Amino acid sequence: MNKKGWMIVGLIVAVALVGTAIWTEPGMAGKLEDAISQAPVGTGKGMIDPKAEPGFMGIPGAPKTYWILNILWGIWVGWIFSSVGAFGGVMAGVGHITVFGLADYGKSFKQTCPVLNKLLTDSVRVCNQYLVGASAMISSTTYYRMGRLVLPLGLCLAGGGMLGAYLIPTLTAGKVDFSSYVGYFGIVVFLVAGVLFYETTPRGQASRKAAKQAAKAFEDANIRKTAGTEGKTDSKSLGVHITHLGIKKITFTFYGVEFSFNPLWPVVGGFVIAAISAFIGVGGGFLYVPFLTSVAGLPMFIVAGTSALAVLVSMITSIFTFMFMKSIPVDFPLISTEMIGVFIGSVLGPVTSKYIPEVWLKRLFVVLALYVGIGYTTKGFMGRSILPGL
Amino acid sequence: MEMHPVYLAMDPYLIRLYRITGCSFADFLLGTFVVAFVALFVGEVTASLAFLAAKKSIDRTTKDVIRYRNLSMEALAAGDKDAYEAANKLANDAFGQSFFKQIALSSAFLWPLFLALGWLNARFSGVEFTFVTAPYTVGVGCIFITLYVASYLLFRRIKYRLPHFRRIKTMLDAYDARSVEVKKLSDVFPLPDSAVQRTS
Repeated sequence: MNKKGWMIVGLIVAVALVGTAIWTEPGMAGKLEDAISQAPVGTGKGMIDPKAEPGFMGIPGAPKTYWILNILWGIWVGWIFSSVGAFGGVMAGVGHITVFGLADYGKSFKQTCPVLNKLLTDSVRVCNQYLVGASAMISSTTYYRMGRLVLPLGLCLAGGGMLGAYLIPTLTAGKVDFSSYVGYFGIVVFLVAGVLFYETTPRGQASRKAAKQAAKAFEDANIRKTAGTEGKTDSKSLGVHITHLGIKKITFTFYGVEFSFNPLWPVVGGFVIAAISAFIGVGGGFLYVPFLTSVAGLPMFIVAGTSALAVLVSMITSIFTFMFMKSIPVDFPLISTEMIGVFIGSVLGPVTSKYIPEVWLKRLFVVLALYVGIGYTTKGFMGRSILPGL
Repeated sequence: MEMHPVYLAMDPYLIRLYRITGCSFADFLLGTFVVAFVALFVGEVTASLAFLAAKKSIDRTTKDVIRYRNLSMEALAAGDKDAYEAANKLANDAFGQSFFKQIALSSAFLWPLFLALGWLNARFSGVEFTFVTAPYTVGVGCIFITLYVASYLLFRRIKYRLPHFRRIKTMLDAYDARSVEVKKLSDVFPLPDSAVQRTS
């Protein structure tokens, strides 16, 4: 990206930072201590025993997360990220909800101390988002270097994304109980399972095979002929050129070919993607590219660079809103030890995935996703999981 | 609340950084800056080691992204819509794989940041700074993030004087060179002489 592009990105990021900083409310410290003080004292369910050993976020009697288990779970998450992809963020959430036992602990305060129940919900989704979202934010910067920026598209996406990433934490922090969160998380897992399942069906496989054949056929037949197209275009079509800027339609040319999009779509798409990411506490950044290539039919070359801007802006907004505006407490030792595991797993993933065919790996995760999806949805909305272990 | 055992182990060493000048506010800023700088440095080192360990796999996915992206543009230039859509879909898939891999690897850069933030929160919990010009306060996290960004900008200037990072830079430059391999319009449609003269 050129100097002007960096300046624009810097400006948007600065607006996101200042925007959240301006509304920072004073005196929000001690939110966790306040919530704990409202819980009944005792050793029973839904009570806090001040003499008990501190666990999650230092809460006495809360599930204790051992650093070795955090690293091992992180390795599992990192391995999935580098071998399957989309399921990594979900697995990070499963770790916090089930493996570390936070869902059952959080739910125990539903009647006795709803404030603590909701604070634990917020904390778990922020932990998820820190673990996955912050990394997505860092990796998105790579795509600035590789892609190109269509400024009106970037502004529409980032505008919608900022709104979603600001409104959802603001409107829902302290209002979602743990059961509902687990239920909604289950629904998102179903959606991921659906996408993974489609990719393993004969139809999904055929579509990919057909795309590969079409690309190969074109490569074989035309790759050298393009040199013969000399003189068919002029310098005016170099790069991205905005030809029409309207409220209902923005048109630009790329490679001399005209593309157009309704600005409402990226605003709505940016809003929905950022809102889901902030609500569930997953990365979500990867959704921008498929959204723009399939809904707007835009070239990947343009979309990668542009969506990277949206990821960056919405993640900064969301993390700052949770961190500074809502002062949601976070278990930092848990996140940092999990992160150590994630990068170890990301190095191990490519080594082991050589021995397992991708389609079988995806089938395995479809089964796992269905199990988690059914378990969480029933646990969240019916009171208990109909499947064991969740 | 009690400090986490990890922070208890780190605390005696880190707190010494806050007793350098004797002036409490200057000590706080200086100590937090050093903590931020150390967190950044450790993150940079582990990220570079993770990069070296996963380089082969990164090479493979980057190659796919560039190949299909180039192909989609070639198809676009040739006016072959079907081939464009096919190559664009494959480029999209390759991008997804590359993106997720990078998400996981990026955690190698961030883990010390969160560790440091956690210690600061545990150590200076409740300490707030009021703006001189406005009735708002910021916590230690905000100060730390600001100083972390400052350390990043500073470290960027000296990073490549260190041999390890110079070696990494040589490899990253090769990636940048390859990303430039992505076809530009002029590669597919060479510019007419008049246009070249105008731009030179």
